[in-house]
Amino acid sequence: MAHVSIPMYWRTIPQRYKMIGQKCKKCGSVNFPPKGVCKYCNESSDFEDIGLSGKGTVHTFVMIGAGGAPPEFVEQEKAGGSYPVAIVELEEGPKVIGQIADADPKQVGIGMKVSTELRKVYNEEGVIRYGFKFVPD
Amino acid sequence: MAVGISGYGVAVPRLRVKKEEYAKAWGSFRAAGVKEKAVMGFDEDVLTMAAKVSRRALSSVPISADRITRFAFASTSAPYGEKLLSGTIITNIGAPSDAFVSDHTTSSRAGTEAVIAGMEHLRSNPEGCTVVSAADAPKASMWKSIEHGLGAGAAGFVLSKENLIAEIEGHASFACEHFGERFKSNSEDLIQDLEVRKFAQSSFVGATTKAATNLMTSLKSKPDDYAHIVIQQPDARMPATIAKKLGFDPEKLVKGSVVSEMGDIGAASTLVGLAAALDSAQMGEKILVVSYGSGAASDAISLKVVGERRASPSVRTEIERKEYIDYIQYLKLKGAIR
Repeated sequence: MAHVSIPMYWRTIPQRYKMIGQKCKKCGSVNFPPKGVCKYCNESSDFEDIGLSGKGTVHTFVMIGAGGAPPEFVEQEKAGGSYPVAIVELEEGPKVIGQIADADPKQVGIGMKVSTELRKVYNEEGVIRYGFKFVPD
Repeated sequence: MAVGISGYGVAVPRLRVKKEEYAKAWGSFRAAGVKEKAVMGFDEDVLTMAAKVSRRALSSVPISADRITRFAFASTSAPYGEKLLSGTIITNIGAPSDAFVSDHTTSSRAGTEAVIAGMEHLRSNPEGCTVVSAADAPKASMWKSIEHGLGAGAAGFVLSKENLIAEIEGHASFACEHFGERFKSNSEDLIQDLEVRKFAQSSFVGATTKAATNLMTSLKSKPDDYAHIVIQQPDARMPATIAKKLGFDPEKLVKGSVVSEMGDIGAASTLVGLAAALDSAQMGEKILVVSYGSGAASDAISLKVVGERRASPSVRTEIERKEYIDYIQYLKLKGAIR
């Protein structure tokens, strides 16, 4: 399992629960998740926090199934069936990876409008790891 | 100045299981008047549902999350026995960390308990803003008939003194000692029920009619004053029995009745029912809400519709968004097959 320690997960709560991104004070681009140096201008480390809308468009996606799920998602795949994972282009610019929940897999497609919702991501060490997933908007 | 509901939001998980699936698996279905019930997806729990309805309730009002001074969460199916539950939700919705929060988790009456607690806060903090969120998905052993009706759903409310859509006119309660019906021991997360039916029903009917009567006496109101009555819905029969006993036309239950399509949603029952009644109630109409929790207690709340409502989506829209699953899938999602 790709182990993420409790403190490490806790530090990502602003991103996972609230979609807090960072706006580069030099070039104005929005980074999500946060970076040490702006990935767009590669020059500045001066950011301000910005709450993202969570809305975006599916750039591309893949269905995870047939035993292909990473260890922490095996139970989800067994209980709920195959699930889509997408790269979503957020309306503020960044492209992020996330599961698409609550959708009929046949309806998931490139260009689909999505928004974010808090979901259970996985459970490790008896601690439920919550975080955003995309849902049809 | 009046205290009341400024906005609300609801959520019904997308999956449904029909009563016919139970008939096939067990030879019978034991929840009177329930046609199908809502089931949470693998990645949902009562906290994710509560977060969703809190956000929806906030998006229906011109009040931003940073103005929240009080948050109350209600459920009988919390994922943890000890650990703050509200923390997950307020972080997601962006409520301030200095808001006073409370978790109400030991009774199917917890929804109204949270509303009353949240409302009392506004009496001493007139500029405050309360968010109440009730989400539930009760669990019992698949071998028990009480399991048949158990569904899932959630409702959230913004309470304040501003932009009211429904004024809370008053509330009254009844509490006593009772046992043997619907309880959960500390050692497991499944509801027990000793199925002493008449004994349980007498407590249910007794507590609810007393709370409702206490309230109508103190407000000097009578059944004719109310256009709608929302009563705890473990099945479709119980609210009808109580409405009749209180002298209400059973027709007044219709708008706030959700159990036949969602199942028994425990602590969220009366609040989703209230949301459904608010979706279609006319301006000026009064609504009586009566909850029940085993052990036993009941709260009655009287409301008057005073403003236009714009909850999105409506309870009806949420109920109609669905995908059917079979009983085997249901067992897997409920964690009944280990």
